[in-house]
Amino acid sequence: MTESNTEYAPANRSKFKKIDMGKIGGHEHSPAAEDLPSCLTVNNLNLYYGNSHALKDVNMTLPQQRVTAFIGPSGCGKSSLLRCFNRMNDLVEGCRIEGNITLDGADIYHRSVDVADLRRRVGMVFQKPNPFPKSIYENVAYGLRIQGINKKRVLDESVEKSLQAAALWDEVKDRLHDSALGLSGGQQQRLVIARTVAVEPEVLLLDEPASALDPISTLKIEELINELKDRYTIVIVTHNMQQAARVSDFTAFMYMGKMIEFDTADNIFTNPAEKQTEDYITGRYG
Amino acid sequence: MNQQSLSSASPVPDTPAGEALASSSHARRKFRHFKDKLAGIGIAVGGLGVIAAVLLIFLYLIYEVMPLFRSALIQDVSEFRLEAPHSDNVLHLAVEERLEVAMRLGDDGEALFFNTSDGALRNRIPLRIPQGQSIVSFALDTDISRIFALGLSNGHVLIAEYDYDVRFGENNERLLTPVIRYPFGEDSFALYDNEPVSRLSVRSNSSELLLAGTNPSGQVRLLRARRETSLLSAFSGASDADWKTELATLTGELPALEQLYLDMDRRWLFAIDASGHLSLVDVRPAFSGGETVIADEVSLAASGGHITEVNFLLGGISLLVGDSDGAVSQWFLVRRDGGGFGLEKVREFDAGGRVLALAPEQRRKNFITANEQGYVGIYNTTAHRQVAYTRLLDNAPRTLAISARGDGLLLEHGDGHFSFWRVSNRHPEVSWEALWQKVWYENYQQPEYIWQSSAANNDFEPKYSLAPLAFGTLKAAFYAMLLAAPLAVCGAIFTGYFMAPKMRRNVKPLIELMEALPTVVLGFLAGLWLAPFLETHLLGIFSLLVLTPVSILLAAFVWTRLPEHIRFRVPEGWEAALLIPVILIVAYLSFLLAAPIELLFFDGDMRSWITHDLGIAYDQRNALVVGFAMGFAVIPTIFSIAEDAVFTVPKQLTYGSLALGATPWQTLSRVVLPTASPGIFSALMIGMGRAVGETMIVLMATGNTPIMDINIFEGMRTLAANIAVEVPESEVDSTHYRILFLAALVLFMFTFVVNTLAEIIRQRLRRKYSTI
Repeated sequence: MTESNTEYAPANRSKFKKIDMGKIGGHEHSPAAEDLPSCLTVNNLNLYYGNSHALKDVNMTLPQQRVTAFIGPSGCGKSSLLRCFNRMNDLVEGCRIEGNITLDGADIYHRSVDVADLRRRVGMVFQKPNPFPKSIYENVAYGLRIQGINKKRVLDESVEKSLQAAALWDEVKDRLHDSALGLSGGQQQRLVIARTVAVEPEVLLLDEPASALDPISTLKIEELINELKDRYTIVIVTHNMQQAARVSDFTAFMYMGKMIEFDTADNIFTNPAEKQTEDYITGRYG
Repeated sequence: MNQQSLSSASPVPDTPAGEALASSSHARRKFRHFKDKLAGIGIAVGGLGVIAAVLLIFLYLIYEVMPLFRSALIQDVSEFRLEAPHSDNVLHLAVEERLEVAMRLGDDGEALFFNTSDGALRNRIPLRIPQGQSIVSFALDTDISRIFALGLSNGHVLIAEYDYDVRFGENNERLLTPVIRYPFGEDSFALYDNEPVSRLSVRSNSSELLLAGTNPSGQVRLLRARRETSLLSAFSGASDADWKTELATLTGELPALEQLYLDMDRRWLFAIDASGHLSLVDVRPAFSGGETVIADEVSLAASGGHITEVNFLLGGISLLVGDSDGAVSQWFLVRRDGGGFGLEKVREFDAGGRVLALAPEQRRKNFITANEQGYVGIYNTTAHRQVAYTRLLDNAPRTLAISARGDGLLLEHGDGHFSFWRVSNRHPEVSWEALWQKVWYENYQQPEYIWQSSAANNDFEPKYSLAPLAFGTLKAAFYAMLLAAPLAVCGAIFTGYFMAPKMRRNVKPLIELMEALPTVVLGFLAGLWLAPFLETHLLGIFSLLVLTPVSILLAAFVWTRLPEHIRFRVPEGWEAALLIPVILIVAYLSFLLAAPIELLFFDGDMRSWITHDLGIAYDQRNALVVGFAMGFAVIPTIFSIAEDAVFTVPKQLTYGSLALGATPWQTLSRVVLPTASPGIFSALMIGMGRAVGETMIVLMATGNTPIMDINIFEGMRTLAANIAVEVPESEVDSTHYRILFLAALVLFMFTFVVNTLAEIIRQRLRRKYSTI
């Protein structure tokens, strides 16, 4: 992974101008998902919003410490699936789930599960940067404070570490106590990632994290994902196929609530097994 | 194909159709521009109109209030010399109510009536002084009764009254004929035997006359004359023989008396000696043959000057004492702790120099002084205010007279020289002190805050303290907010954050519907149903106030301990509905159990227990009733705005917090509430403004008693209710009327200041928690 970091930036960008050839994905060699230690497993998942059937019989296993991307046209259910992993769908009125999801072998939809604890373990970054109207410092420290950690030394350490992990430290270290709302969009999104990283989750869910950002900020977020994946299992939803190709090790293509194909990024983008996948990545519809 | 469709769709200007399209689009653009401009102007006019309307109301209030603080205006009318022969010494000078005629009573026993415009003599009426006698002393009852007494050199006293007969001539002009009457008979009353009456005082009403006099040796005698009400005289009409007189002599030492004054109730004699020492004598025991009782002794001239002029203020309660140093002090009787009466110096005025003349006004608590430099001052005692102070004369005045309405001032100076002035002094009763500070009113034990704008009698002292009204306003608002603020804010937070959207869609409009309830209905219900209900179910209400929150917490606790299969039957966000039966049961139980508990601990009646055992006054219409009724009226206002504030906190913030593993409660307290705080704060302020300005509820649900007491069981009168109650009965442009406008201005300023403050704080908070 470290070697991929060093060669990542210039080489990868030029290569993805033509995605149908050459090496795909941040990872050099991609074994199949089943061969890797699994993190999240989805079993026969069905999801309904009232009467509409949003996810249909989804089955998949997400490998540990890899980047998995969900692609597909709008409304295909990729964000819904993502929100199932930390039960954010519980907040949606009329949402109903059948089947189950396990995290490290335990069912996250079991009644004994503490949702707050689950969400600490499965962090999430949203499409639109959503820093709290507090200082930069307090934003990052928020996750620790709600767990009752108020020791200044611990917080200081965690804030610095998290901001460094989110590649934001050098930009904000002199104004930690200024409002987070004064940051640019890209900085805000990295702050949100830092905030999520601060509670040391096992899984990072990124819901179109760069879609509201300019290309430079997008690049920085992508670099960040590459750096974070050796510590976290990352699941990213994106509309941008090039982005999926650039950052993911595994890619799932969803269509109409169904998981059409789930494979290594190499296979999906160079040699898709399904016709629908090929049509989508070659831009025939979407 | 792409190219084809593009060329056919684009307008081509050189074809006729294209031209039409272009010109119509031009017209459309113009019209659009016009509409845009029109809307802009409309919005600007509307906005500026609102500002202008508020500003105009504000200016109008100020315009109505301003005259209250204006000084009196004294204008020169005429300057003349009385050409007719007249005596040197003047006993009394008076101006008729319409300022046409003045009367001068000389010590030769002649009353001269002359025009105030040029001094031309109208009438000369000699009094019926017995042959060979001369006038040695003079006393005036009041300028209102116009009765005066003359002490003669033979020890007799002659009582007379000057008056004007008014007729209307052919051209409807007013014709005045001055007359002298003898209401107590033309014969004089004998006070002493062949000794001159050196000092004299007189008080009368239609059926009784009281005289106090002293002879040169200092013996004080009292004479009381009462109308005999025999059957014969009732039919034949009063005649001289009908007056039954009693004579009494005061025992004990009253050395070197200079002045004698009887009070209006004919009970007290104020005897003042040359050094300014006043003895307060109870005259009642004298007639029953008892010892003279001196109730109190004070020195009027404490500063070392000596007394120059003494007179009663309107009403005959306050004694005004002018001295050689230019100080005028006001004294009146105050009931002492021991039970007796004592004379207290209430306030002091500065007349600028040795006081030579001192006259009270006849309809207001004003008095006028003239000092030896020719300065004239007009003062109001209640307001402790100098309304005017100007130099009207170059030399010292001899005497002055003020007309009945206080609008004409006649000064005599030098030998028969007069100057007549017109006075415009409409609102002397108002000063900062009278409005906002404790004022020592006549007949009160100590200075107090009192609002009492009118009374049945004419010599009443108006009490215009706004303090009890402002206090009542804040008290009503306080108790209303005590109920409304926690309920509305907590309800708003629950509805906006926890409640299931479907339930919220029902609950919110329902609470907002409460706002549409006319406040007059609420006030009506509060006054006629709630107030008596509270009085009889006091314990039930209090136990309800305590038990409801406790039982809600208890029910919530029990709910969390219930087995899951029961809990999961209720969808998330609907749990609140479960509290409805809980609250109903608790309410039923607290009223059911109140009666036996009341019987056990409070002798069966908590209300009388509060009054008798705790010694707390209880009014049926009190702050508790207002708290409930106005709280009910304010809840929807606060709820609606606060709920919007909580609900519009961006969902992404809530989700961001929840996604970090925060519990809903942590999310609420650390993210939602701080972000919504400007909205919640402004909701509270708007609710407060509503409570302060609310009229109908406080009008109907409080006793409208302007008292200053924080006690929850007593009523209050608010500024708004006071205006509503008193404006219809106040005379337009009177002081009372303008003070009601001042009350409105105070209310306006209050809400203005509160709202401005709230807005500043809200802006600060909003900047801190500005939304993304």
